[in-house]
Amino acid sequence: MVGMLFPHLSEKLPGRKLKKRAGEEEQQAQSKKALKKQQKEAEKAAKKAEKQAKLAAEQQETDEDDFAKDRYGICPMVQSQQKLDRVLVRVQDLTPEKAEQQIWVRARIHTSRAKGKQCFLVLRHQQSTVQALLAVGDRASKQMVKFAANLTKESIIDVEAVVKKVEQKIESCSQQDVELHVERIFVISQSEARLPLQLEDAVRPEGEGDEVRNGGEGRATVNQDTRLDNRVIDLRTTTSQAIFRLQSGVCQLFRDTLINKGFVEIQTPKIISAASEGGANVFTVSYFKTSAYLAQSPQLYKQMCICADFDKVFCVGPVFRAEDSNTHRHLTEFVGLDIEMAFNYHYHEVIDSITDTMVQIFKGLRDRFQTEIQTVNKQYPSEPFKFLEPTLRLEYKEGVAMLRAAGVEMGDEEDLSTPNEKLLGRLVKEKYDTDFYVLDKYPLAVRPFYTMPDPNNPKYSNSYDMFMRGEEILSGAQRVHDAQLLTERAMHHGIDLEKIKAYIDSFRYGAPPHAGGGIGLERVTMLYLGLHNVRQTSMFPRDPKRLTP
Amino acid sequence: MPMYQVKPVSPGDIKIDLPTCMYKLPNIHAQGMNCNEHALQNGEVDPALKALEDRQDEVLRRLYELKTMVDGLTKTVSTPDADLDVTTLSHAPAESVFRGTADLDSLLGKDLGALRDIVINANPARPPLSLLVLHGLLCQRYQVLSSVHLHSSVSGVPPPLMSCLGPRHIDNYARHRFQLGFTLIWKDVSKLQMKFSTQNMCPIEGEANVARFLIRLLGAEPQDPVAATQMDSWIDTAVFQLAEGGNKERAAVLRSLNAALGRSPWLLGQEFSLADVVCACCVLQAGQTSSAPANVQRWLKSCQNLGHFDCVYPLLQ
Repeated sequence: MVGMLFPHLSEKLPGRKLKKRAGEEEQQAQSKKALKKQQKEAEKAAKKAEKQAKLAAEQQETDEDDFAKDRYGICPMVQSQQKLDRVLVRVQDLTPEKAEQQIWVRARIHTSRAKGKQCFLVLRHQQSTVQALLAVGDRASKQMVKFAANLTKESIIDVEAVVKKVEQKIESCSQQDVELHVERIFVISQSEARLPLQLEDAVRPEGEGDEVRNGGEGRATVNQDTRLDNRVIDLRTTTSQAIFRLQSGVCQLFRDTLINKGFVEIQTPKIISAASEGGANVFTVSYFKTSAYLAQSPQLYKQMCICADFDKVFCVGPVFRAEDSNTHRHLTEFVGLDIEMAFNYHYHEVIDSITDTMVQIFKGLRDRFQTEIQTVNKQYPSEPFKFLEPTLRLEYKEGVAMLRAAGVEMGDEEDLSTPNEKLLGRLVKEKYDTDFYVLDKYPLAVRPFYTMPDPNNPKYSNSYDMFMRGEEILSGAQRVHDAQLLTERAMHHGIDLEKIKAYIDSFRYGAPPHAGGGIGLERVTMLYLGLHNVRQTSMFPRDPKRLTP
Repeated sequence: MPMYQVKPVSPGDIKIDLPTCMYKLPNIHAQGMNCNEHALQNGEVDPALKALEDRQDEVLRRLYELKTMVDGLTKTVSTPDADLDVTTLSHAPAESVFRGTADLDSLLGKDLGALRDIVINANPARPPLSLLVLHGLLCQRYQVLSSVHLHSSVSGVPPPLMSCLGPRHIDNYARHRFQLGFTLIWKDVSKLQMKFSTQNMCPIEGEANVARFLIRLLGAEPQDPVAATQMDSWIDTAVFQLAEGGNKERAAVLRSLNAALGRSPWLLGQEFSLADVVCACCVLQAGQTSSAPANVQRWLKSCQNLGHFDCVYPLLQ
């Protein structure tokens, strides 16, 4: 009845049965699963045993059949046990002229890639890389290739190999025309397997890492802090190698040029009793029972040397600034290249000397460090640095007029703000096509008390800034060399005369007219290469937030 | 002349009981109205309005002038024989346009405190001789701060090129004392380039065009359009056919120069002009001096005697 009245119900009734059946099936399935599990486990065990057997066999094989046993291995730690007469060839010297020679090379493992019976290594030394090849054959055994393939990246190895010319250029290496066919390979120092950062990631060109956001194939980059925390590894990258080699070049060219010009290099104390510029921005250090300061500029001592008839002096040394500014171009400790020079009649003699030194540095870098510049450009592309000889000199008033013509509103005696500096740099470059120029005759109000006022206009001063790519690198002036005027100027600035007594006194016994300036080495390197952060050009940068490494 | 009038919002003579605790001032509305009425009654006009009227009159006057000029031009173009019109026409505008050309403020814009610096980028392989001559002429007229620079795209130039603008000015430490800057930069450029105001002006390319710019600073371009056209034509001939042309073209130009110089002492007649400067420099640069026809030789000699070309000779090998 029910079935007739509600046919759909009658049809639904067997559902319970179904459920029951399903329960049974479930049970069955469970038992099946358990069976399978057991089976699997058994298989696993068998596999394990097999593997172990295989491993044991391999072990045996290595122990027994490795004909190349003496050709590879981990060297005992070099404690200078013996003095080998072995000549190590530098990677950068591996050229086609060395083809077919058997040589020894010491290098780091940059990358390694095993492929069946072959293993490709890229060996790196400083900025150069070369491809090395191990293949199972009569020289290398299977085990040896395996050993090579398992070496950790960044390990230092000694390799004996035959240099071979290659038909197709190896694009990924700096030595593109040769490769090494490895005959012996020994580990000198092993690296840990996990690196805090990968070197390939650290040299990836700017912007490539950003592709993730655009939906492209994202690739890792290393951020600034990771780099700086692991500076030792970061410094190994080709880019860092090139940057610091170039920086060393800047220093050397600076010294050479100035020595040629008859300058004397001096050393000045870094612990001083009084702040040279009135007291702000200096670090205090405890000094026995009292406190002392870290020098924020060697200026006082440079000037004293001038008063002591050294005529032209320069010094290269650390400078400390306790400025809590976290910008791309401020450091709390940096290397200052300082110049001070007595002149005959006009402080432009000094400007000419300094600008010529800079031009000599730029020319030297352009002519001698082209490979380094290219290397850095690969990661951080920038336009080549352009300059004029003799250097372009504009006056502050002109700069202000140029800015005003470009729509900037600023007062005559206002200091240049950083964006205005940059803009002026762009305007000057547009007209004169130079990345380096001098801005002369700053308003007196924006310069320190020891700046010589302009003889014709009391609003201005005999002071100058030099700019590279629109950023200030040098600030200098003719100094007041007259104790009387110096006292007046200091009082005008509200400086406690007691604190600068020693400074003023040094001009009481006759002082030649002089001028000078200080350059930041890190900034010069950064701006020459068109980098964007001064931390890239400081080996172990110090800023308000970083004191290590 | 009021444009519309509005009734006063409040009559000036309302009587209000004012508190006596404060001091009194005369009613300013009443006073103002009186003033205005007074002005209008006397027929006096607001000076601002007057200035506007004057300006409109001036604009209209200039429009009429322009219209007559254009009418005259159409007439000459449609009837080429009516050369009488050319002369009457040519003088009127010529005078008004070229009058007072030597005033740097009107030519180059107002002095904003920056030295008005003319920057010329030239390739050391082709020194712009004519510009050097013009530089000499500018120096006679103005206080010019000349400087020569070497751009980093060029590794070096012979010393005569670095001193081609003469010795450095003794006052060069004070840039504000100069009226004009002349900065020559030896640079790896394919075409000579002049930059003046990078914001308001695009760079001028080519030696001939820069020469035309510089001659205006001297106010020495021909007043007469016919002569001006001839000058332009000679300059183009010199640049395209003497300096850049082949041997045949050069020979042709020398022949025509010879013919023109047979008729008059200078290319444009009785007066030395930019045409002479550019053509002479091109002939000198092409090294055709010795093989040039007689009239050209004589003309080159006269150029030399003027003294303006002294800076050019040391640069010729």
